[in-house]
Amino acid sequence: MNPATILEKVKVQILGLLWNRKSQKVKMIVLGRNLSDGLLAKLIIYALLSIVAYLYLQPLLYMVSTMLKNSVDLNDPTVKWIPRVVTWENMTKALKGMQYPEAIKNTALIALACSAFQVIICAMTGYALARLNVPFKGLITGLVILTFLIPPQVIIIPLYVIYSKLHLLNTIYVFLIPAVFGQGLKAGLFILIFRQFFRAQPISLEEAAKLDGASTARLFFGIMLPLARSACLVVFLFSFIWYWNMYYEPSVFLAKGFTPLSIRLDNLENVLNPSLLGNTHFITDPVTEATKMAAAFMIILPPIVVFMFLQRWFVTGIERTGIVE
Amino acid sequence: MTTQTKQRRKQALLHRTGSYGKGLLFMLPWLIGFCAFVVIPIGWSIFMSFNKVKIVPGGFKYEWLGLQNFRDAFLKDNNFPVDLITYFQEMLLMVPIIVIFALMISLMLNQRFPGRFIYRALFFLPVIFATGQVLSELFVQGAGEVPFIQQYNLETIVDQYVGPELAKTVMNVLEKVILILWYSGVQILIFIAGFQTISPTIYEAVRIDGASPWDSFWKITLPASIPFISLNVLYTIIDLFTFPQNPILKYIKENMIKVDTGYGYASAMAWIYFGFIFILIAVVLWLFERTMRTRRGRS
Repeated sequence: MNPATILEKVKVQILGLLWNRKSQKVKMIVLGRNLSDGLLAKLIIYALLSIVAYLYLQPLLYMVSTMLKNSVDLNDPTVKWIPRVVTWENMTKALKGMQYPEAIKNTALIALACSAFQVIICAMTGYALARLNVPFKGLITGLVILTFLIPPQVIIIPLYVIYSKLHLLNTIYVFLIPAVFGQGLKAGLFILIFRQFFRAQPISLEEAAKLDGASTARLFFGIMLPLARSACLVVFLFSFIWYWNMYYEPSVFLAKGFTPLSIRLDNLENVLNPSLLGNTHFITDPVTEATKMAAAFMIILPPIVVFMFLQRWFVTGIERTGIVE
Repeated sequence: MTTQTKQRRKQALLHRTGSYGKGLLFMLPWLIGFCAFVVIPIGWSIFMSFNKVKIVPGGFKYEWLGLQNFRDAFLKDNNFPVDLITYFQEMLLMVPIIVIFALMISLMLNQRFPGRFIYRALFFLPVIFATGQVLSELFVQGAGEVPFIQQYNLETIVDQYVGPELAKTVMNVLEKVILILWYSGVQILIFIAGFQTISPTIYEAVRIDGASPWDSFWKITLPASIPFISLNVLYTIIDLFTFPQNPILKYIKENMIKVDTGYGYASAMAWIYFGFIFILIAVVLWLFERTMRTRRGRS
């Protein structure tokens, strides 16, 4: 055999091997060992998530962009997303129209106070349902779920009459008293979250504390409640957000004076254009629309800031509470 | 019976009531609240639904009607049955959209890739403002529309495929699809948390046995998440129940202040609505219970 052909053959073989290894490596990088390891899969995930996130956040972007437009840009259909001139006029108008500082104080007071009570009372109730002896426990758990299911619209007028008899209308107590008695906003859900959390804890901890002579109250407030930090955070944040945004209940109970942001956003139209008061068939004009968008943005800004700081604990907290088990 | 056993029994009884007492003490705030803010209003509202309620200075005047209000809701009222059926159709469409969307997004967010915390935060963001007045404001302005509905003239296509009766419902849903998807924030969280309960060793085992990721999704991830799917379906139904754009609640609220119908009629409608939702929830629960039982029976 000709040595040249042998050399040729060897060369081809080595090249083939090399190519093969390289291809293996490339394949490894692109496709990965698992579905999610490879570069390709990651790119697809990024692309899909980004597209969906864009669609998802579009209304929010619309809000911000509308808010920053001046009246010329608002009436000009060629200006779509980016305003030609950034104006803060809508913002100042909205601030004034809602009397923002006072309104935010009211809203924050309601949300913080009620959420704090919700956490403690719902934790107590959830703990009792998870670990303590309560007569008719199954029935009571069913009733807790029932309170979560009943729409507020069904019982709002009787509640209105009760509150007005007690002279509580237009005060914070309309929300604070139900929260203290475990009937705050979506309290049934929170009780169930706590119940799930306490049931997932090892019972040996409580047994050890009991052997050491701790009373039930001491055991709960000294050990179990601190243990439930993550559940408390989740409940507090959800409760805070829902109290912050609630509209239906305050629109009935807090008609004037002590009103939160959501009610003032609803009234903004009348405040800005008092001449149109009561004229419901009037077509929304884009300038007041921009002011409303500014107002809406300022309503959601504080919870977004809070959430940004607590986001990490929040998400891991949800994973750890065992809500889902 | 000796005195000793008697004493022991007494002690046991004492112990039992003592422990009941502690439990009741912990439950006390809730029990008081339940009576004051749930039982009384519900009883009152049911009572009102059997009456014609007139507002007179200093309180209400009741006029017993029996089941008249409930009969009127279906027979006399032109809007209520139509609204009810339309909204239930919409709901039957919205619930799967929300749950499937949440499932897909959470599957992606569950993968390990850099920056997933940012994405997780993004998809949770709507929970912050998807309740309440801000959402309604965006609805009014039509900000929830998907841009391609008009671009590709989706309306005629939908009309062709599902027929003109259902087309209106489908278009109604499509028009606000983004805002509907905003309702999936909590569901995504529940799914992600649920995926953590599936042990990674199972995935490893089936990979060694030669299962593709496609197989392992259908054979492991999906069956293991059935409880979370059922939880999410229930949560979504309850959530949509008090959806701000809900036409039924709006109609009920309108009727509360009308002079000729009044609160009695409005609460009758509210109870009918609640009854329908309750049936829906019961059906969903029963279905999932059955699938769970057959699965358990098979394994």
